[in-house]
Amino acid sequence: MSTDTAPAVLRRHRSINRGSSIGLLLVALPVLLLAWLIVFPIFSAVVGTIFVRGPDGATEFSLASYRFFFTDGYSLGNLWLTLWTTAVCGILLLAIGLPIALYLRFSQGRLAAYVQALAIFPMFVPSIILAYALIRTIGPNGTVDLLLNAVSLPKLRTPYLTPWGPVIGLVWDNLPLTVLMLTAGLSSVSNSAIEAARDVGARPLRVFVSIILPRMGNSLLVTASFAVLGIFSAFTLPYVLGSASPEMMGPFMQRTFADMNDPLNAMTQAVITFGFCLVFGIFYIRSIARNREAQP
Amino acid sequence: MNRREFLITSSAAAGLLALPRFASAAAGTIDLYSGSDANIVDLWNNVIRPAFEKAHPGVALKVTDAGDNNGLRAIADRALAALKTKTDPQADLFEQFDPRLPSGGIDAGLWVKFSAENIEGYDHINPLAFDTPYSLPYRGSQVLLAYDTTKLDPKDAPKSWDQLTAWIKANPGQFIYNRPDKGGSGGNFVRRAIHEANGRDPKKFKVDNFTTDFATETLTPALKILNDLAPALYDKGAYTAGNTQSIQLLAQGVVTMVPVWSDQVLQAISQGVLPDTTGLVQLTDLALCGGFSSITVFSNGANKDAALKLAAFMLTKEMQEAIITEIGGFPAISWDHISDDLRKKYADVIPSTIPTFPGGDWEKAIADGWYRNVAPGISRT
Repeated sequence: MSTDTAPAVLRRHRSINRGSSIGLLLVALPVLLLAWLIVFPIFSAVVGTIFVRGPDGATEFSLASYRFFFTDGYSLGNLWLTLWTTAVCGILLLAIGLPIALYLRFSQGRLAAYVQALAIFPMFVPSIILAYALIRTIGPNGTVDLLLNAVSLPKLRTPYLTPWGPVIGLVWDNLPLTVLMLTAGLSSVSNSAIEAARDVGARPLRVFVSIILPRMGNSLLVTASFAVLGIFSAFTLPYVLGSASPEMMGPFMQRTFADMNDPLNAMTQAVITFGFCLVFGIFYIRSIARNREAQP
Repeated sequence: MNRREFLITSSAAAGLLALPRFASAAAGTIDLYSGSDANIVDLWNNVIRPAFEKAHPGVALKVTDAGDNNGLRAIADRALAALKTKTDPQADLFEQFDPRLPSGGIDAGLWVKFSAENIEGYDHINPLAFDTPYSLPYRGSQVLLAYDTTKLDPKDAPKSWDQLTAWIKANPGQFIYNRPDKGGSGGNFVRRAIHEANGRDPKKFKVDNFTTDFATETLTPALKILNDLAPALYDKGAYTAGNTQSIQLLAQGVVTMVPVWSDQVLQAISQGVLPDTTGLVQLTDLALCGGFSSITVFSNGANKDAALKLAAFMLTKEMQEAIITEIGGFPAISWDHISDDLRKKYADVIPSTIPTFPGGDWEKAIADGWYRNVAPGISRT
């Protein structure tokens, strides 16, 4: 027996080695593309905002554009609104997405399928269409107003053109991904663990806090970072549904670049935006790496 | 066909697609580029092209959507480079462009200079429409005020800036305009406030008299007027993200009055987006700004003569009336040369003056000043 297995192990070892070199070749292309299309532009943007070409044509080190951004009340107001919108959206997404995901994880049948279809539906609606649909429903004299009026209730102050407009749009737009990722995370909670807890008399809340949540930490972090990365640089919904001022970083950057014809300040805003996203990116990568280590 | 043949033919076909546009530079095909909206490109493709090709057999017209003004600028830059190397710019005509760009283009002789000698019907052009001899106006539009006649009696509609601001303040929440950089209707409302604050003299502002000091001096009082108006606007100072959104709020009966582009509002009424009860009014002390779109022709284009024929064709009565009926624009030729029926139908919106406001650095200063001073002027929580 042992004489038979030894060459087999060797053979397998060799084929793994060849496989890994092919694997490296396969990932080389995407890695090069990543370096060329993403890493290089980031470096060139950072360098371009620090080493500025002066009026005499000479390139000199200057942090003036950053100093301007962080002393300009208007720019800071926009940054603050972006952070506020991102935080509010992130909390709302988890608060709405987690119950749906829990329901989908622990129930079967036709109703669950309908709920799932409904939760995934926004993924297939382009955000510009969504923006106009929201104006029509929650906007002034929209469907919600008409329904309230029909049962003689007072008009609601519409969120359209206020900071809450983009929040509603962004939550709706990002809900499918949140639900999908949380459902995937919940699949790591085994039925037997929950049954065991129930057998010793744990109530649903106890099961959730002691059994489900500890196993969900990672996927909650991943979900939150994904949502934050998408929302921080959102453009269409804040532009169409939101207020004129303060504006979120996406519309602000676009306006500075195209309308103000000011690439330096637009690039500075982009680098600052990137800096904030980087923090959440690091969270995401760390949790992925930890996940990998945890798995044998 | 075996696999090898398939590969050869398909790669040859792909290669042909990748070749530069030899085919479209064929003699007798005018290359027209437009940076305008879809309704204008549709007008060229569906109305003007068939009519022109019928009137001038043997000459074809190819309309290409260049996206926006930046797209046209890139082609103009290329044409200026081609002029220096005496090669074909592969473009003959721009549907709407400012010949002051690229800078130095006029001095280098990039653009054809229009006159009664090379354009038939040049003397019919509305004198209000002339800008430079290198641009040939062919359609116009102006910003008007559109209002709901079921809520505001036409005889009470404001006819001057003072009446308008008094009406806005007396009817809080019933007026909205869009962000000035996101569409001309709100943009020109803001510019009308600038004219108001500076003695209602449009000649005071020129593209080349911009200085930061002059801008601060002239814009500050205008922004103050607008800031003062803000609490009386819809939702105590909300601003829509574009021309269309303002029309939408008027159509939903949310507000009573909005500034609108004449062509967009006429089209919206004819398509039923806005009801027939929509009234239009223009201020009589000084109209809201507007402008004419003008054709520019490359002097080094391969089909320059055909392009000039097309430019002249646009000034014919037939095409000018199509601009009124198809897109609700203003004709560039004087209304005397338009048929009586149309003149009567559009009597309300025929402009006696169309003030304009220069672009360039002014545009940036106005937009930035407005965003910083007017938009966040009050707390809206």
